[in-house]
Amino acid sequence: MQDRVLLDVQHLKMYFPISGNGLLHRKTVPLKAVDDVSFSIIEGHTFGLVGESGCGKTTVGRTILKLYEATGGKIVYDGRDITAMTEKEYFPIRREMQMIFQDPMTSLDPRQTVNEIIGRPLMLQKLVSSKKERDERVQELLHMVGLKKDHANRYPHEFSGGQRQRIGIARALGLNPRFIVCDEPISALDVSIQAQVINILGDLQEKMGLTYLFISHDLSMIRHISHRVGVMYLGHIVEVADVEELYTSMRHPYTQSLMSAAPIADPEIAAASKRIILEGAVPSPLNPPSGCPFRTRCRFATDTCADRMPELKDVGGGHLVACHNML
Amino acid sequence: MSEHLLEVQNLRTSFVTGGGIVQAVRGVSMYVDRGEFIGIIGESGCGKSVSMLSVLRLLDDNAAVKADRIEFDGIDLQKQTRKSMRKILGRQIGMIFQDPMTSLNPLYTIGNQLTEPLCYHLKISKADARKEALNMLETVGINEPEKRLKQYPHELSGGMRQRAMIAIAMSCRPKLLIADEPTTALDVTIQAQIMELMAELKTKFTTSTILITHDLGVIASVCSRIMVMYGGKIMEQGTAGDIFYRPRHPYTEGLLRSVPGDGSGPKEKLIPIPGSPPDLMNPPAGCPFAARCKKAMKICGLAMPGLVDVAEGHKCACWLLYSRASGNREV
Ligand SMILES: Nc1ncnc2c1ncn2[C@@H]1O[C@H](COP(=O)(O)OP(=O)(O)OP(=O)(O)O)[C@@H](O)[C@H]1O
Ligand SMILES: Nc1ncnc2c1ncn2[C@@H]1O[C@H](COP(=O)(O)OP(=O)(O)O)[C@@H](O)[C@H]1O
Ligand code: SF4
Ligand code: SF4
Ligand SMILES: [Mg+2]
Ligand SMILES: [Mg+2]
Repeated sequence: MQDRVLLDVQHLKMYFPISGNGLLHRKTVPLKAVDDVSFSIIEGHTFGLVGESGCGKTTVGRTILKLYEATGGKIVYDGRDITAMTEKEYFPIRREMQMIFQDPMTSLDPRQTVNEIIGRPLMLQKLVSSKKERDERVQELLHMVGLKKDHANRYPHEFSGGQRQRIGIARALGLNPRFIVCDEPISALDVSIQAQVINILGDLQEKMGLTYLFISHDLSMIRHISHRVGVMYLGHIVEVADVEELYTSMRHPYTQSLMSAAPIADPEIAAASKRIILEGAVPSPLNPPSGCPFRTRCRFATDTCADRMPELKDVGGGHLVACHNML
Repeated sequence: MSEHLLEVQNLRTSFVTGGGIVQAVRGVSMYVDRGEFIGIIGESGCGKSVSMLSVLRLLDDNAAVKADRIEFDGIDLQKQTRKSMRKILGRQIGMIFQDPMTSLNPLYTIGNQLTEPLCYHLKISKADARKEALNMLETVGINEPEKRLKQYPHELSGGMRQRAMIAIAMSCRPKLLIADEPTTALDVTIQAQIMELMAELKTKFTTSTILITHDLGVIASVCSRIMVMYGGKIMEQGTAGDIFYRPRHPYTEGLLRSVPGDGSGPKEKLIPIPGSPPDLMNPPAGCPFAARCKKAMKICGLAMPGLVDVAEGHKCACWLLYSRASGNREV
């Protein structure tokens, strides 16, 4: 199959207005949650997005799905610029672009049965024409995610976390999506249950050619499932590469520290690996440093880093790095 | 007097709830030696926190705690009054919890919360306590300690709050530190800082540490001895090497297979453990893992196997080992 770009994000910006605390004139300051982010995803592939809490991962996902109105940049989905589309123009595409959330409990309506949770969007999007057809489709979807028929009449609180996450996946799948934003879909699950959900997502991708934007802070899981990975810091993508290239030949100092901080479930490898412990925490996005966003914690920072923001440059083979002194 | 710093025998804890009785801990025995760093691992709800809170007698009144023995540094903890227990907690045993916000008091400054226990336990002057507090904040890597003393918990970042909590827990140089999921809410970068700090403090003050976590990665790098809990019981215990390289319990094996390897080899499909953990309201009579275990036999549903020695210091509770032990099958 020819590699075909399904999603192309260009210079995406999402600024949230925050009311400042100026005493005389109340003005709003922009919180630059996502600032000039570009990447693309090939159809049928998984793009992993990693970075520390608050760096803008969820905001990227939500902006792509038009849950926020982008401040700038372009979102091209399946060859069409959807950034400025009206609600009406976007409606038929909305079905194709779905999201799975971190906390399966808060994303499912506790008063609806599983049948309603999965079935209602099918009726709304007119994908089924009768109640009977809806019920059949719900059964089929439950089967796809490894749940049982009689689960359809139960309520979310009667399920375990892993099962609830499967209900969320079944709901998203019902609309025959082509693209799914998976925002930390396994973070709230027990280790022994995480693999169940990961395998279901993997099988569905294989069978249906789904494309995923997979957000996670679990670096070993990201390596396991992604084709390409982007590393975010303070609203910017600082490095992107194909997965093995990134994990074996990272060039950005932040990527290096992030990777070295990841816990390794193997005592000998853990003991042998050298850790770079980052000092301090991520600066506030309301008051980002000048120049390179990482410079306040970077071991390699030079004067240039405070003056100029490094551009994301291709260092060969689709490996992009934004650093003045790359490794 | 036992040689162990902490020794717990046959701990059983249950809660009376509206829905019935939850048997959270069902016969846990464990020990910690002086200067030892041990880990307790298991999925959420398996009884890790409750077993520690039982030992420290910190549970609410709806909890019934029974044990054959709970001895800390030669003291029988079951015989202590609330008041004498309070003296031991904070002075001899320090605690760190997953969410520092629940144990830091939002109404008092960090300085207040650090100096108060120092004055109370060590009977030192305010000025000396303040000096020690500054010293402790520096030790846990909080910069500008003078300024931090005057700040309230909400003014600190998550990682800094966790450090402040460690500083409080460590300030009286406790003999035992219990850390319950101390990094679960934190980013990996901050997690690495905190784990490094805990290992450092252990070396510096020869504190014994019990680390509770559900993260195999966190436990692999720091713990010398590990206990695997499931369904309110200890399923396997041994050195980090025993647990990671020579696991004998099907649950431990399953846990290790369900996480990706270090990624250097070819990508193999993860092998999940099917199903989900048992409900401790009506725990199964036999092995709690039986419903999810591929190797389960008839007896597994009927009775719970006891822990048997599989090697020096390596214990495992599984019926598979019994047939081996009795010579029915070769290893
Ligand atoms: N609706 C909003 N209004 C104002 N600020 C917001 C809003 N949503 C997010 N932010 C801010 O934007 C930044 C990026 O947030 P985002 O949720 O995208 O982070 P994240 O990378 O997904 O973090 P996490 O790993 O914690 O989920 C943060 O500083 C956050 O506080
Ligand atoms: N105060 C309480 N009342 C009733 N049940 C409780 C209470 N605290 C904990 N439990 C139950 O005890 C079991 C063990 O809980 P816990 O020790 O917190 O698990 P974990 O291993 O995640 O730390 C769970 O089934 C939990 O729901
Ligand atoms: S640009 Fe400078 S501060 Fe930024 S990552 Fe590179 S070396 Fe570090
Ligand atoms: S006792 Fe039986 S069910 Fe339990 S782990 Fe061993 S084989 Fe499996
Ligand atoms: Mg998020
Ligand atoms: Mg707990």
